[in-house]
Amino acid sequence: MPDESKAVDFDRTFIPHMDAAYNLARWLVRDDHDAQDVVQEAYLRAFRFAGGFRGGDPRAWILAIVRNTAFTWLKRNRGSDSPTEFDEKVHGGSSEESGLEADAVRKADGAMIRAALDELTDEFREVIVMRDIEGLSYKEIADAAEVPIGTVMSRLARARGKLARSLQERIAQERIPKER
Amino acid sequence: MTCDDARVLMHGHLDGELDLAGDLEVQQHIEQCPRCASEYAAMRAMRTRLKDVAFRFEAPAALKEKIRRAIPASPPSRAGAYPSRRGTWVPRAVRFAVPMAIGAMLALIVAPRTIGPALNQRLASEVVASHVRSLMAAHLMDVASTDQHTVKPWFNGKLDFSPPVNDFKKDGFPLVGGRLDYIDGRPVAALVYQHGKHVINVFMWPTAGDTTSAERIETEHGYHVEQLTVAGMNCWMVSDLNQQELDRFAELIRAKG
Repeated sequence: MPDESKAVDFDRTFIPHMDAAYNLARWLVRDDHDAQDVVQEAYLRAFRFAGGFRGGDPRAWILAIVRNTAFTWLKRNRGSDSPTEFDEKVHGGSSEESGLEADAVRKADGAMIRAALDELTDEFREVIVMRDIEGLSYKEIADAAEVPIGTVMSRLARARGKLARSLQERIAQERIPKER
Repeated sequence: MTCDDARVLMHGHLDGELDLAGDLEVQQHIEQCPRCASEYAAMRAMRTRLKDVAFRFEAPAALKEKIRRAIPASPPSRAGAYPSRRGTWVPRAVRFAVPMAIGAMLALIVAPRTIGPALNQRLASEVVASHVRSLMAAHLMDVASTDQHTVKPWFNGKLDFSPPVNDFKKDGFPLVGGRLDYIDGRPVAALVYQHGKHVINVFMWPTAGDTTSAERIETEHGYHVEQLTVAGMNCWMVSDLNQQELDRFAELIRAKG
């Protein structure tokens, strides 16, 4: 029997976070239609398990469900390993050793940032979207992804490093044709 | 602090996630190490860029609408649209007691076949979840027809029983279709009725006996669920209709059974 004394007003508590839910789903599955499916599925799960919501930030709670629904979806529909290979090809090698410049990041335009984010592995893209775009705390991300807080920080460090390097490479490549 | 440590910890520093001592240590390292300082500046610039709303996707209006429709509203400001919802919100102890009392009575009257409150609660949750899923996933109907003579044969060969299908259009509850669903670990018939803008899902599957029982189960989130055993069919009705209207509908189902 669910604990009804704590029953939450689902409509008022979770419906306002649909944009955040869609944003996270859209970044994780990278397709509008699939993201809509994920959000629907996540809201249905949230609705069923709303009795398990024990206070805290409802946005973090629904985003954790979206995150897990999206990863289940990715595993089922796309297999989970392919993006990693792709990512290593693009960002591997000696570029890890080169220094990072804030300038390159400032010069990158929106399309470049979006493309660079898209190319990250799911796990790296996930932490950046949850932290930098959705503004979740390390603790909230750790709870959602079921990893220790320290892992969140180190994953974020590697994810941001890769993203910044990718932007730097894109800026550099853009300069070559201009100089010729 | 080594540069390797600093390159991870600078993120905790940037996000305000370190304790004071750790924060100061990283700060000091960044001030003394030009390479880490440069990397930190890059990370800070990137974080600022990503805060731009241009990187946020907004949920399509159609999606919001679909989810809103599927999940019944319950704030007091909209209570007028669902008059019974708050009114029938009985204290927890009473809600416990009523189904249990009915359960106890049934146990005495229809001796061998009793459904415990726990099982009923579980079935009620399943039924509500199926109802919500049917509204959300745009899979309300497999066979869309207002004709009972189309809907009933459609189930032939898909189920090992033939559910009673009746149209209650003249009573204000037109049949709009049917679909296969899955409840309590078995395939069941789901009949879809409409009343105004409200959708009623009726789930049916054969029961062991042919006694007639009735139970009203109020579930979470403002959906109303009623259960009937009629003509050997276990029959569960769920809707966001108010209680009186659903009672009226249940009475129609019972009368036809």
